[in-house]
Amino acid sequence: MSTATTDTLPHSPDHGLVAEKSALGLTRPDHSKSFWVDWLTTVDHKKIGIMYGAAALFFFVVGGIEALIIRAQLAVPENDLISAQLYNQLFTMHGTTMIFLAVMPLSAAFFNYLVPLQIGARDVAFPRLNSFSLWTFMAGAIVLNASWFFQVMQYMGSEAFNLKSGTVTLTDIVPAVGWFGYAPLSSELYSGIGGDFWIISLQILGVASIAASLNFIVTIINMRAPGMKMMRMPVFTWMTLVTAFLIILAFPAITIALAELMFDRNFGTNFFRVSQGGQPILWQHLFWVFGHPEVYILILPAMGIVSEILPTFSRKPLFGYPIVIFSGAVIGFLGFAVWSHHMFTTGLGKIATAAFSLLTMAIAVPTGVKIFNWIGTLWGGRIKLTAPMIFALGFVWMFMMGGFSGIMHSSAPADAQQQDSYFVVAHFHYVLIGGSVLALIGGIYFWLPKVYGKMWTGALSNWVAGTIVVGLNITFFPMHFLGLLGMPRRTHTYLAVNEWGAMNMVCTIGAFILAMGILLFLIDIYLCVTKGKPAGNDPWDGRTLEWAISSPPKHYNFAAVPKIPARDCWFAHKYGSAKQKIGWQKEDHGIHMPSQSWWPLFASCGFLILGIAFPIKHAGVPYMGWLAILGLTILVFGIIMWSLEGPGGYHLHPEEEDGEDSKPAPTGSGAPVSEEVHR
Amino acid sequence: MSDAAALSNSHDDHGHGHGHIDHTATSTGIENKKLIMWLFLASDCMFFGTLISTHLIYRKVYPDGPVDPTVVFNIPLTSFSTFILLMSSFLMALAVSAMHKGELKSFRNNVLGVVFFGIIFLTCQVFEFTEFVYGKHDADGNLVWEGFTLSTGTFGSTFFVLTGTHGTHVAIGVLWLIGLYFYSFTGRMEHDIHGSAMDVEVAGLYWHFVDIVWIVIFTAIYLVEFINFT
Amino acid sequence: MFPGQNSLRIVSKFFALFTLALPLLFTGCAWTGRTSTLDPKGPIAQIQFDLFMITVYVCVFLFVVVGGAFLYVVWKYRERPGQPETPIPQNSHGNPLIEIGLIASSVFMLVIIAVPTVQAIWITHDMPDRPDSHLGAYYGGEFLSPGEEEEVLTIRAEGYQWWWAFEYPQLGLTTGNEFVIPAGKVVRLELRSKDVIHSFWLPKIAGKVDLIPGRNNWMWIQAGNSYNEWLLDQGLPPMQEGHRAEYENYLEAEVYDMYYGQCAEFCGDSHAYMLFRTKVVSPEEFEAWVAEQKQPAPAPDGGGDWGAWFARALGDPSSLAGDPIQEGAYLYHTKGTCIQCHKVEGSPSSNGVLGPDLTKVGSRTSLAAGWMDHMSADGGINAGKQYENLVDWIYASQDIKPGNLMYYGDNALQHIINPEDPDANPLTREEVAKIATWLQTLQ
Repeated sequence: MSTATTDTLPHSPDHGLVAEKSALGLTRPDHSKSFWVDWLTTVDHKKIGIMYGAAALFFFVVGGIEALIIRAQLAVPENDLISAQLYNQLFTMHGTTMIFLAVMPLSAAFFNYLVPLQIGARDVAFPRLNSFSLWTFMAGAIVLNASWFFQVMQYMGSEAFNLKSGTVTLTDIVPAVGWFGYAPLSSELYSGIGGDFWIISLQILGVASIAASLNFIVTIINMRAPGMKMMRMPVFTWMTLVTAFLIILAFPAITIALAELMFDRNFGTNFFRVSQGGQPILWQHLFWVFGHPEVYILILPAMGIVSEILPTFSRKPLFGYPIVIFSGAVIGFLGFAVWSHHMFTTGLGKIATAAFSLLTMAIAVPTGVKIFNWIGTLWGGRIKLTAPMIFALGFVWMFMMGGFSGIMHSSAPADAQQQDSYFVVAHFHYVLIGGSVLALIGGIYFWLPKVYGKMWTGALSNWVAGTIVVGLNITFFPMHFLGLLGMPRRTHTYLAVNEWGAMNMVCTIGAFILAMGILLFLIDIYLCVTKGKPAGNDPWDGRTLEWAISSPPKHYNFAAVPKIPARDCWFAHKYGSAKQKIGWQKEDHGIHMPSQSWWPLFASCGFLILGIAFPIKHAGVPYMGWLAILGLTILVFGIIMWSLEGPGGYHLHPEEEDGEDSKPAPTGSGAPVSEEVHR
Repeated sequence: MSDAAALSNSHDDHGHGHGHIDHTATSTGIENKKLIMWLFLASDCMFFGTLISTHLIYRKVYPDGPVDPTVVFNIPLTSFSTFILLMSSFLMALAVSAMHKGELKSFRNNVLGVVFFGIIFLTCQVFEFTEFVYGKHDADGNLVWEGFTLSTGTFGSTFFVLTGTHGTHVAIGVLWLIGLYFYSFTGRMEHDIHGSAMDVEVAGLYWHFVDIVWIVIFTAIYLVEFINFT
Repeated sequence: MFPGQNSLRIVSKFFALFTLALPLLFTGCAWTGRTSTLDPKGPIAQIQFDLFMITVYVCVFLFVVVGGAFLYVVWKYRERPGQPETPIPQNSHGNPLIEIGLIASSVFMLVIIAVPTVQAIWITHDMPDRPDSHLGAYYGGEFLSPGEEEEVLTIRAEGYQWWWAFEYPQLGLTTGNEFVIPAGKVVRLELRSKDVIHSFWLPKIAGKVDLIPGRNNWMWIQAGNSYNEWLLDQGLPPMQEGHRAEYENYLEAEVYDMYYGQCAEFCGDSHAYMLFRTKVVSPEEFEAWVAEQKQPAPAPDGGGDWGAWFARALGDPSSLAGDPIQEGAYLYHTKGTCIQCHKVEGSPSSNGVLGPDLTKVGSRTSLAAGWMDHMSADGGINAGKQYENLVDWIYASQDIKPGNLMYYGDNALQHIINPEDPDANPLTREEVAKIATWLQTLQ
């Protein structure tokens, strides 16, 4: 590559990289030498993506530890390792954490990092809004887990955090209402301030998700490089688009449901108060109108990742590209029409039950189409079993198994026996771990060399794949049978006479094997970061645009604007005809870079203060109402300052070229494909 | 989409007026700010849709609740405030058009009009809520009908939360427009008429949406109660 | 050499180990365990099980075909070590015919499931109207009104945090956590919740239906086949008499039993402890059981006159000394404050409704909503174990079932309680033992 090899920024004569003043007269935090200032104020989609990813992996570990405690409790019948209440708190936090703080942000990490690179954009459409989404997500995550902090303080007898309701010391500070928070169990009559922590943190996370999704839809629709038509976009970007639409249309339902619950708990309304005519069934409808699209929000990005990895390592384009995208959209659309299959046991009546049963079966068709097309992609290809590929293949297999138990649920009368039993637990862990998590880990194996510029070391990745897949099967396969043998979910213990003990012990052993696999994975990341050899720009002989630029990408992404001639443009560029070469077009006035800003972080801090003060207020701690109002003020003030400071920006004039040479940089033995990229 | 015109290395964001503003075309030709507002409104539709359906479902489940809407609803007053809100949308359209032409003075007058009408609407709502809470008395001070609050059955909850949410939207719109009004005196709008027109247009989109939602609420929540289905 | 080279070997080694270990997992599993859905004992559970098996067959077929194709492809087209450089594989973007064919065949597979599903939804939602299931047809209680004789047996199951009340409105009796139904007869269950959402799940008899506050759910259940269903099952023509003895043998061998169920919707702290039992008996036994349950509790001195006993006990409590049964009854009604929540039919003051009806508590085979068991091997009561359970439960119910409403503080309705409060249970263990002794006599 004919690139400038220095790590420093190319200096542009007209700006000299001096921070300017904003429209408010304050110095912008651009070009800061301080690591903290740089990362806290960043508007760079790549840094934001990395922070999403790091936070998601952290919470993935937190949720995993919660799961291990749950499994330890269930290992033997009539166990009293932990109390019933703590168990309920653990499974509530495990579910909420894994869905909202691990899988969704890990998907968001990929959206952030990859979408602009894949469509040839400088950044997302609204960089500061992106930063706001990140910090608001962090605020929500901290608020939810602050409940653990307060509860531990309570256990330790701290006077400062001794929360009381009347004369009684509270023990239920951590939410124990389940991730679904069914009213009336989540009303003020049956749950303590844990319910408030749960409500407010989900509201904050909802704001973050909706803001980020609006941003991504605009980015994908409006920021594509010339020639990057919709039907030339990588499938991952397509799935991001579908997911983002699901988020903006599904989250309002739960936001309103949570607001109604919050009003019930705090302001005396009767939305779910049975004694005043409230109908708890309404909560279930509103929750699952959100909750079922949420399932696809979790799985569609994973399908997108797999649809990138499989073609790369089969050296074939995705089989049936248009139909894979179409089926993704159909899944998203049908996802809004099947919510009541979570409620088959609530007495919907036979017409509704039959309708939702049939619609649920219908959704198996587009899902099956995807699996057929993945197999079609592999067919006749040249399958190279690298670590990302093993995870992608594992995804197809495990997701298929989860899909089969899904078909079993779709038959409402059969589901009457499966609902709320361990059969369901087995089903959704197959699609979430075997599906989402395997694909996301595969994605990390695939793209970390691009993100960090270093290649994975040795064959540890194969042990990671093997341990995770085996651990997951040992943990969750027996759960199908536990469910069929009548073991209900969300029970902290069970009688020995039910004879569920042996299989539960197996599940627990499997859970620890799975945990070991995750630990190995984290070690592998550490080894890659510390000992990895340079990966080169295109270590896997990739197909999409992100492999055309340096690893790690420069903060301005593309030195010149790519003009896209074809689908799988980078592969076509490397191996296609002369007409399929990407045209690189330098901008005369340089690359416009957005300015960094403190205000998104500042505004999000308002959410943090509001989120912590609000539940504590409900516990009767004085002045917390005022603190909550202060948080709201900070939020509003931050947004006003943000809109007044002006977007700013400066121009760069990089001297290097992108994608001039299809040959990857020569690398050591760590780079897996260096021998084969020549035709 | 016009691929040739698309220059993806452009950048757009909230905020106004800075030295080098390049209004580069987007892939679709729709400006980013406008697109994100449309998308936000799609999302907002779901918010209001959820609230309106909550209200209607409970009305259907409890047709004879503690409150008789045909007695308490003051249709002349609400019709008046609906008309006011419709007129404010008209002024909003004039304001946007003025901004596009760079006529700041006309823009200011029209925006002031919108703000004024918005405040009238809110005042009507405050009056209506007060009457609902305290009930109605005749000239002699006798109670004609009893007031109701958030805690009165499900009707009080769904009605106040729905119309309150709408009122909050109107209030946010009023504050936003007041902000734009004062911003127009900073001199930054003249500096970038096209960008400012886009900011005003986005605010206008929001305002029209809030107006349309009110038409839906007025029809589905107020007027429908007076139809005799039997 | 790249890191993935020997991956196939390592991964396949893992899978070989895993496949070997799988059968080990399931040896010794009780497929007919007491809550197994794989051992249906009634028409509803049978339909649900049959439907489940259809989905299993379809899925296993798909698994073999799709999974087989998948494995074949990965094996066939894997890159072999030392394989010479080949041109890039032919780039096919898809084939509409293949796509349409696969979509059509998956739709066909789903239709195989869909048709019986819809049929089963109708069957499970429509209560069959069979004359032999009408109460009047098998129950001889003379107090039934003619209308009630035409009805099927109705049981109102009420869910509370964390126990069940079962009321028989036609027969005028209420029991807690255990109920009895006749074999082969349709029973209508009305499902009501008094606090949060619960779910009624009796796996061998029927899948679950939720108890949702403010909502009147119902379901029908039936334990074992009716005579006609049994005839059909045996391949005999329906409505044919003459096989009653064989039918009775079938019921004896397969249906008369104790069935175990559990709340299946997360309902708070002690959700895991919300179990229940159902005894399935012959119509004759059912009638006898009803007659027995309808008897009010005798006065603690063995006589029939509660008023006289009360006058004596309250007037001179010391006169009860030496008789733990009478002392226990006295403590139950006074210091223990049990009467605020519990009902004992007969006693003039024990009329509480917040806890289980205790009129026949001594006849039940379990305590604490099925968690504490004292059933003897022959299905009767193990009195020693029952006494032990009663004492443990009354003395330390908060340790056994955290968060339940049974405690002895100043305000019986206060929801949040403090189990560490030393005054929470003012009864001494000796006093509790006396109450237990009395409760044991309530049979």
